Amino acid sequence: MATGSMDDLADRFADRAVRSAFIYTREAHPGENYRHHRSMDDKRRNARAYVGHSKVRRQILLDDLEGSAHRAYGSLPNMTWIVGRGGMIHYKSAWTSAADVAGALEAVLDFQANRAKKQWVAFYSERSAWSTRDMAQFKAGLERAGPQAVADYQRMLETNKAARAAPTEDVGPRIPGNFYKTEGESGQR
Amino acid sequence: MTATEYNYSVFDGSAEEFREFAVHAPKATMRAPSLPLEDLATGRIVEMSELWRSEVALIEFGSFT
Repeated sequence: MATGSMDDLADRFADRAVRSAFIYTREAHPGENYRHHRSMDDKRRNARAYVGHSKVRRQILLDDLEGSAHRAYGSLPNMTWIVGRGGMIHYKSAWTSAADVAGALEAVLDFQANRAKKQWVAFYSERSAWSTRDMAQFKAGLERAGPQAVADYQRMLETNKAARAAPTEDVGPRIPGNFYKTEGESGQR
Repeated sequence: MTATEYNYSVFDGSAEEFREFAVHAPKATMRAPSLPLEDLATGRIVEMSELWRSEVALIEFGSFT
């Protein structure tokens, strides 16, 4: 996760009426050192370990043991959402990229400041986003969780056809959350 | 979904989760769902809507692992 860069982003926007929070979910890659939660005390313990390790500065909010909030927002392991003053969703992202979030925040603040004056009307839109993936950091996280987390991830790679597919010129390496199919895969030639 | 099902003990990387997020989770321009959460630092219960009552809310979901 991009904890440091998201903390920096939160600090940078704090005086522009942006409130940042980190919602602690289930363990994405449970292992011997940080196991799945069987109680709220398990969740609190792992969340405190995360704060101690990552020095996260944002408010940490724990979801309930059933993941009610996490499931209401789509259950992905590292989503970011931006909600406008009053409650309208402006941004939802399957993965967290601080650079992408920064651009989206600027746009949301611009909208909120100028909406009435310029008679702007919000409309629904979708787009792709991109980031680099720090696989060394990701693997270090798996190792920190324990050997089981490493083995589970390796097994997923071996069984997940999309993850093994060769990169294409269109989209580069495939990652979960990328729905692109080549012409051959989609049956369109 | 039970707490045991939600808190899986073995990661299997279901691609369906991403489709669920794209197709069934709330979309931009919808009203954000508000649920109660526990502030780790204080133990206080916080309604998510408090986050966006008077400010723009920037919300990241995640875990240590």
